Amino acid sequence: MNVRLPTGIRRDRRSVIAVTLLVALLLSLLPLPSWLQAIWPYWVALVLVYWCLETQGVITVGLAFTCGILLDLFTGSLLGQHALSLVIIIYLVDRFRARLRFFPPWQQLVILLALLVNDRVIQLWIITLSGDPLPSLDFWLPPIAGTLLWPWLFIVLDRYRGAMRRRSAS
Amino acid sequence: MRSDAGKGSRFFGPPAQTARLMIYGLVAVVLMAMDYRGGFVSQVRKTVERAAEPVYHVVEWPVRATRGVIDQFRSRHSLRMENEALQQQILLQQAELQRLETLSRENERLRALFEGAQTLAFQYRFAELVRVELDPFSHRVLIDRGSADGVVEGQAVIDGAGVMGQVESVYLHFSSVRLISDPNHALPVQFSRTGLRTVAFGFGETGALDLPNVPLQADVREGDLVVTSGLGERFPGGYPVARVASIVREEGQTFAQVLAQPLAALDRGREVLLIAPLEAAAEEPPGSPSESRPDVPPEPEAEVNP
Repeated sequence: MNVRLPTGIRRDRRSVIAVTLLVALLLSLLPLPSWLQAIWPYWVALVLVYWCLETQGVITVGLAFTCGILLDLFTGSLLGQHALSLVIIIYLVDRFRARLRFFPPWQQLVILLALLVNDRVIQLWIITLSGDPLPSLDFWLPPIAGTLLWPWLFIVLDRYRGAMRRRSAS
Repeated sequence: MRSDAGKGSRFFGPPAQTARLMIYGLVAVVLMAMDYRGGFVSQVRKTVERAAEPVYHVVEWPVRATRGVIDQFRSRHSLRMENEALQQQILLQQAELQRLETLSRENERLRALFEGAQTLAFQYRFAELVRVELDPFSHRVLIDRGSADGVVEGQAVIDGAGVMGQVESVYLHFSSVRLISDPNHALPVQFSRTGLRTVAFGFGETGALDLPNVPLQADVREGDLVVTSGLGERFPGGYPVARVASIVREEGQTFAQVLAQPLAALDRGREVLLIAPLEAAAEEPPGSPSESRPDVPPEPEAEVNP
C-alpha cells in the first residue's frame, strides 16, 4: 500500500483536475483567427500530462481514453483519433513518470516536445489513412507552441492547485 | 522506494499497464475504422453528439456577446452609410431580378410547351456559421439552425457565391454541414457552357475540387463555370459550384485531370443559406400545366378558323 493522502484532499483534487480538463476541452473548441488556430497547442494533452506528472494513480490510460473520445465528439474528428493519441501520450508519461519528474526543466521540455511530435506523427498517420492529403508544414507548429507554453502552463496550474489546496485546508 | 512502487504496483504492475494500453489502443482503432466506414458507430455518434450542443453554446457565447457589444457601440454614421450602400445594392439587384423574372416566366412557358419537368420553387432560410472550431480535417462546419427551425438532414447549403455542402446531422439548435471539400463528398455537376455532366469530388482541400471523369477530348476551358446538375436529388440544379482552375490532358489517359476552385467561401464564410423546396411548389406543378394547356389548344383552332 502506498502512502495515501487524506481523503479530503484527494477528493478536492479530483474536482480540480476535472475543472482544468474541462477548461482545456473548451479551449480547444474556442473560435480563433486562423493564424492562431495554426499554432493552437494541444491543450487537453498538456493538462493531462501535467496532472499525470503531479499526481499518482488519478490520470489513468482509461481517463485519457475518455477525454479523447469527448474531444473527438466535440471537434467532429474521426471517433477514436484523439482517444488513441491521448492514450499513447499518457501511457508513455505514466511509464516514465518517476524519471520525468526529476528531470531538469530543459530536459523535461525536450521530452515533452518529443511526445507531442510523436503524437503528431500518429495523427498524421490517421489523417492520411482516412484519405486526406498531407497537411501543410504548419501542421507541426502546435507541438512547438505547446512546448514553449509548457513552463507557463505548469506555473499557472501549480498556482491554481496550491490555491485550491489552501482553500480546502482552511 | 516510492518511485519504484509508483511504476506499477498501484494496480497490477507494468505488464497490466501495457495490456491496458493495447486494449484501449485497439478499441480506438476499431472505433476509427467503424466510424470511417459509416455504419452503426456513426449512428451512435450522431446521437451522442447531441450532448455536445450545450458545450457549443458555452463556447460560442463569449463570441456572440462581444459581437453584441460591438454592434451596440457602432456609430450612427457608419450604420447609415451601410444602410445606404445596402439600399443601392437592393435596387441594383431588383433591376436584375425584374429581368430574370421575365426570363424565368418565359422559360416556364417554353418548358410547359415541351411538357418538360417543372422547375421547383425554393425557399431559402438564412443561417449563420457557429464560431466553434472543429477539427480542420473533419471538413464540417456548424450552423445555428437546427431541428427546431425545421432543418432536415441532407438539405443543401449555399452561400452568396456558390454551393457549400449539405446538412449532415441536425441537433436542436445547431446542425453540422459536410463541406463539398470533404474527401467523401461527391457532387453531381455539369459545365454550364457545354452542359457536360460529371461529378465533383472533394479531396480535403478547401480551395479545390477534383473532376476526374471528364473525357480527354471534352470541350472544357479554364474559367468554365461548374453548376449543380440536380441529379442525385440532394442538390437542386443550376447553382454555381466552382470555376475550372486547371486542366491537364495527358496522352494515353482516358480522362483529363480537371481541378476546379469552389466559389463558396468554404473556409471563411459567415452567412449561409439553407435551401428547401417550397411546400407550395408541390401543389403548383399540377396547377401550372392545366393553366398552360388551355393556352396551347386555342392557337391551332385560331389557325383553322380563317
